[in-house]
Amino acid sequence: MAPRLNFDELVQDERVHRKIYTEAEVFDAEMEQIFERTWVFVGHESEVAASGDYKTITIGTQPAIMTRDEDGGINVLMNRCMHRGSTICQEQRGNSSYFRCWYHGWTYTNRGELVGLPYAAGYGKSFDRSKFSLVRARVGIYRGLVFASLNPEVQEVAEHLARAKYYIDLFMDLSPEGEIDARCGTHKYGYDGNWKFQMENGVDGYHPNFVHQSFFEIQGKQLGRKVMKLFTEESAYQTKDLGNGHSILDMAPQRKLRRPVNNILRGSTSQASIDSYMESLIRRYGDERTSEILGASNVNLAVFPNLLIIGIQFRNVIPVSVNRSDVYLTPTTLKGVPEEINVARLRAHEAFYGSAGGGAPDDVEMFNRCTAGLRVKGAEWLELSRGMEREHTGEDGSPVAHITDELPQRAFYRQWRNLMCGAAANVTELRPRPAAALD
Amino acid sequence: MSSLSRQQAEEILFEEARILDDRRYDEWFAMLTDDAIYWVPCNGEGLDPNREISLVYDDHARLRDRIDRLGSGVAHAQSPPSKTCRLISNVQIEQTSGDAAGITSAFFLYELRHARQRIFAGRYHHRLRFEDGRWKIASKKAVLINNDEVIDNLTFIV
Repeated sequence: MAPRLNFDELVQDERVHRKIYTEAEVFDAEMEQIFERTWVFVGHESEVAASGDYKTITIGTQPAIMTRDEDGGINVLMNRCMHRGSTICQEQRGNSSYFRCWYHGWTYTNRGELVGLPYAAGYGKSFDRSKFSLVRARVGIYRGLVFASLNPEVQEVAEHLARAKYYIDLFMDLSPEGEIDARCGTHKYGYDGNWKFQMENGVDGYHPNFVHQSFFEIQGKQLGRKVMKLFTEESAYQTKDLGNGHSILDMAPQRKLRRPVNNILRGSTSQASIDSYMESLIRRYGDERTSEILGASNVNLAVFPNLLIIGIQFRNVIPVSVNRSDVYLTPTTLKGVPEEINVARLRAHEAFYGSAGGGAPDDVEMFNRCTAGLRVKGAEWLELSRGMEREHTGEDGSPVAHITDELPQRAFYRQWRNLMCGAAANVTELRPRPAAALD
Repeated sequence: MSSLSRQQAEEILFEEARILDDRRYDEWFAMLTDDAIYWVPCNGEGLDPNREISLVYDDHARLRDRIDRLGSGVAHAQSPPSKTCRLISNVQIEQTSGDAAGITSAFFLYELRHARQRIFAGRYHHRLRFEDGRWKIASKKAVLINNDEVIDNLTFIV
């Protein structure tokens, strides 16, 4: 048998080995060491708004069901009958208080208790049905975002989110009620490539001018200014390491109060709606906080390991196999704003995102090309050193670098290495780099 | 002029199919009215584009942008472009009056790109309007049967 790969050597500070994208052994270890040990994003509370609502999800590659029970609680139950292993829920979403396995009729509540056991006499008196509840994942909720964990020892979700919380708050506070809805459906696309390509790309400020040139040219024409300057050396935008593998493209520094609104709405909304929206924000949060919040209206936030918050969407990156990934984009609407504002958000999202959008499919094309290119064996490493020399500590204590720098990817892979090498899932600060080896 | 016959409807749909398969997008654009909508719903039939996300919900201006972008030479998801061949059948006139008509049809669409062939199927809903002496497309809604599933790339015009 070939010797097991040494994950510590495959991921170094300034580069990663191609095998982390191509080897099934790495993928299997990721499912155990990362997706079974830390918090995994599974959805938003509003997707199961009413009692009995459910949607099927995955934790890594494992099927599960997110349910809203009759007491209003959110449960994450593994989609596996405790009898002979069949999945018990076949629909993507729906409403039901019970789930029946149609193989032999075992029936569970939406909290996972086994309540229906056909012809129970056959099991004898000592059979204890309370031992046959569905396997439950831990549930952690932050500002309506639902995370699940298969690790009973995992730290609290708020602690896991570290400095990403500040940006999640901004995203939610774009609503004058501080709440968003995720009930307009989901864009689903996939690609023949490793799940990490999408996580890297979502916070990559170096690629836009090349991958999205065609979109920026059209957008520039509409806005009457050069969009591409924002992703050159002259840009004041930053990358920021938010701890625990999370990071952001921080596009707030240059923002003024008005422009971000126009940016979301792209000229398609009446001034009356914009004014009314702005007034309600200022009434709720005051001028200064409103400015800060509007700066978040164009975020690219990565939450390790599988969540991206980009534009108006939650993006759930779903690993399928070492070279196949699915990506679910769920757009959000804001509570407490004129309907026109939310319609404009949907239209702005569609322009760029989804399988037919003007931007995201071009990213996906690059992931497919990377998969093809990484079959080459003569070159073993992928370079992530951009901006290492100009990385510094920002105002809030976070490591920051230029927008085009590969700081977010380095932050992601430090956390990756920590978990893959067996560190506890509650590691908050990162250990020092090991000496580079393996060529 | 009289109301639209099924033969006339088929001629328009077949002509459109041929133009799209040839990627003669400017010619397709000329088949549309100035207030045309091109709609590809997501997650089902498409009931209300203002409350549901769509795969595509383009008005005339956005459609122009879409076509310009596809022709830019740097729309990577269409570089190389998709080769398509679509068959349209089961054409039914839903409603027709003097200068407006609604047609539904079923389609099969084969797509080839990067040596991989995919099959799409669904229903088209066309609304036509008689303008400037000919029938023009006022709206086209393409309901794919797999629009609630993972679709890797749908950047060609359905």
